[in-house]
Amino acid sequence: MKSFEYSRAEDFCEASCRAVKGARPIAGGTDLLGELKDDILTDYPGELVDIKRIPGADEIKIENGTLKIGALTKLVKIAENDLIKEKAPILAEAACSVATPLIRNMGTIGGNLCQDVRCWFYRYPHDAGGRLVCSRKGGSTCYAVQGDSRYHSVFGGMKAHTTPCTAKCPAGTDIPAYMEQLRHGNIKGAASIIMQVNPMPMLTSRVCAHFCQEDCNRCANDEGVAIGSVERYVGNYILDNKEFFYQPPVQETGKSTAVVGAGPSGLSAAYFLRKAGNAVTVYDSKKEPGGMLMYAIPNYRLPKDLVRRFTACLEQMGVKFVTETVIGKDVAPEQLEKEFDSVYYATGAWKRPVLGLAGEELTVFGLDFLIEVNEWMQGKVGSEVLVTGGGNVAMDVAITAKRLGAKKVTMACLESENEMPASREEIARAKEEGIVIMPSWGLGKVIEEDGIVKGMELNRRGLIDVAEETQMTSREGVFAGGDATTGPATVIRGIATGHNAARGMNRYLGVTEPGCSGMEHGGERFLTFDPEGILNKKKARQEEIPADERSIEKEDSKSLPEAEALKEAGRCLNCGCYAVNPSDIAPVLVALDAKIVTTNRTIPAEEFCCSHLKVSEMLQPGELVTEIDIAPPEGAVMNYDKFRLRDSVDFAIVSLASVYSTENGKFTGARTVFGGAAPVPYRNQELEGWLIGKPVNEDTAEKAADLAVKNAIPFEKNKYKVIELKTLVKDSVLRMREK
Amino acid sequence: MKIQEITLYVNGIQYEFSIGNKFGQIPPGETLSQTLRNRLGLTGSKEACGEGACGCCTVIMEGDAITSCMTLTVDCDGKHILTIEGLADPETGELSPLQQAFIDRYAFQCGFCTPGIIMTSKALLDKNPHSTEEEIKEALSGNFCRCISQYHVVQAVSDVAGKAGA
Repeated sequence: MKSFEYSRAEDFCEASCRAVKGARPIAGGTDLLGELKDDILTDYPGELVDIKRIPGADEIKIENGTLKIGALTKLVKIAENDLIKEKAPILAEAACSVATPLIRNMGTIGGNLCQDVRCWFYRYPHDAGGRLVCSRKGGSTCYAVQGDSRYHSVFGGMKAHTTPCTAKCPAGTDIPAYMEQLRHGNIKGAASIIMQVNPMPMLTSRVCAHFCQEDCNRCANDEGVAIGSVERYVGNYILDNKEFFYQPPVQETGKSTAVVGAGPSGLSAAYFLRKAGNAVTVYDSKKEPGGMLMYAIPNYRLPKDLVRRFTACLEQMGVKFVTETVIGKDVAPEQLEKEFDSVYYATGAWKRPVLGLAGEELTVFGLDFLIEVNEWMQGKVGSEVLVTGGGNVAMDVAITAKRLGAKKVTMACLESENEMPASREEIARAKEEGIVIMPSWGLGKVIEEDGIVKGMELNRRGLIDVAEETQMTSREGVFAGGDATTGPATVIRGIATGHNAARGMNRYLGVTEPGCSGMEHGGERFLTFDPEGILNKKKARQEEIPADERSIEKEDSKSLPEAEALKEAGRCLNCGCYAVNPSDIAPVLVALDAKIVTTNRTIPAEEFCCSHLKVSEMLQPGELVTEIDIAPPEGAVMNYDKFRLRDSVDFAIVSLASVYSTENGKFTGARTVFGGAAPVPYRNQELEGWLIGKPVNEDTAEKAADLAVKNAIPFEKNKYKVIELKTLVKDSVLRMREK
Repeated sequence: MKIQEITLYVNGIQYEFSIGNKFGQIPPGETLSQTLRNRLGLTGSKEACGEGACGCCTVIMEGDAITSCMTLTVDCDGKHILTIEGLADPETGELSPLQQAFIDRYAFQCGFCTPGIIMTSKALLDKNPHSTEEEIKEALSGNFCRCISQYHVVQAVSDVAGKAGA
């Protein structure tokens, strides 16, 4: 047993005060003690505060027709109370079904409502080989998705927190959400999810380091989802439907903004600024917009045609481009600030950083090299080329040099191979082409004999300081972002700072950001997945041009065909928590449309029980459930049907709380809530609506049962639960024949 | 209010305990089952599953049968607790009617779960002396017996229920 301090509260106020300070309330203790004994959690309270003895907290009374039950009322009392048996017999029935008589003598209704899940992975005792830190405990995976899920949800999961893929994306792309939309055949919805944070997935999908793929939960078992390849498919779709995705804003704000630098960050800011209705003019010193995308990244990774097509999309939205114009030379910065309401500087990090190496002047700066190559001025490539660095630019340089005819290309980088910032695919590609990678090496100085190996420090110079939240510089209304503020970084990071700057500028200009109207994706109640798709162990692979046919002009890899991309989206596990709500009381209170009274407010039972994965997320710090109020439905027939293996002890495998009204053999009212079927009680409003007016007969029962499980997506191992749910619904409907 | 001392009344005897983590004190995390068995030597109630599922640790607190393994001792402050040791007459050693009925009906096999079963039955009959067979079964649904003594247990408890007040 975990050790803790113990105190006793005289009233809810005192209990709340202690709870705010981190104490955990203990009522019957039958759930909490199990967690304390088995050491399953990662975090334990330092203090328990006993709330059992709070005077008046275990009363059952009726006031103005409302049944009021104190939160500390023991389940045995609820099961046996005449008032409850008369007004809300379903509640007595449910209370009587909880665990065993011995537990009901201790457990309280409030505790039952707030109890933790019984998932066997979640509850795996620490002593028996180490607790499992699953998604619900702050880990990244749900063990049931790929493990034994016989007692888990048949309606999908719920997100416990940000998944590792999203967390790793600098722009915070909600990857599982767009994968889900793809599985539902809603590619527009998928596209809109990406475009909320990234207006150019057709470009990032090709060049991004895809940090998102590194910690994909599939990696532990087989192969991570090929997120980049799926993103590329969506990106292509966006470009093919540019009229839909890059519409000019419906309303102009009358504000004008200038963006200096047409790289990823500038273009990202331009998109989000224009989308909000501002006039946007983008300046760039080069001939064409795109920045590094156009001039630094080799054509074999990112065909320039795509960059041009993307900037054309922005033009279609009404973004103006002024190229071959250098701010500070052709146009004075002061003039920009005068002319525009707000200015964004995303001028990049084009200058060669001074590393302070002896003989540095003899080397070629990778970016310069790439720019020259990409401007079709093939630089001199020696017979032996040494590239220092382990990022994607270094990779590009190495591969380009090799393809330009260098005999031997060696890459040396500070990082170990696993830590190299370049994506895994790029590293594999380089090796395939015969490039020697020497990880964990740095150059001390450049000499013609064998180099002496020592650490190397990058000296970033000339970065612009900005406020992290808004990207605003020390000058009012002037913002900066991209590599100019961060130093050389990835395209997606530039896009993220561009978006952030656009938000900061919009706030500065008093412009409200638009939602993504017209591209909504249905707000699904639960996370869904493809039960067949998740069984595919091999990830999709983009077709690559054979190594000996590759050039610096043609794109190395082909996009996935649609069917392949959609199949890959089916491999996404949609990580979250797939445990089921164990409470017998919760579905009943939702079915009765009860109100949960807390120390702070009154919450409808449905909102209390169903809107959050955990009750602790529903409650504010120190907030405690004090009472349950029920307005008993007049003349309704209510039942709690619980399916389990043993008629005592067991939690529900599935259960159904039903409240029906009939008149002349037809349904006039229905509320149906499943327990044990989803992460929270599952109310089926579609079924409720459908039942109205239907006769009570076999046919209705059959159809109701089918409708009730229409959205079920069981795992391989819990399909039986769907059959049991159907049986519960059917029996509950047919029971009305006797009434 | 931090609890520093508690009083328990076990089988009619008053015990005062100091709460804390020092030697001899009852830590807040100690269960009633541990206190009864390890401190008071009342080893009649058993601890088997340790999570309230088997009923072997059943004792009666304020008239209700509870699982002592899922109860913190500190939570029992001021409560009256009855264990299997408190059933027989302390002076004559005469068994209680329930205990005798269990012997008469041979309502046990290995006997490990029997103290819990008897305590649950006692709590039931104290409240409902003329319990029906169905009520007895329902009340005992939280007490597990691996040796399948249930048939004889129901007979034994029914015997006492039938005689009560007769």
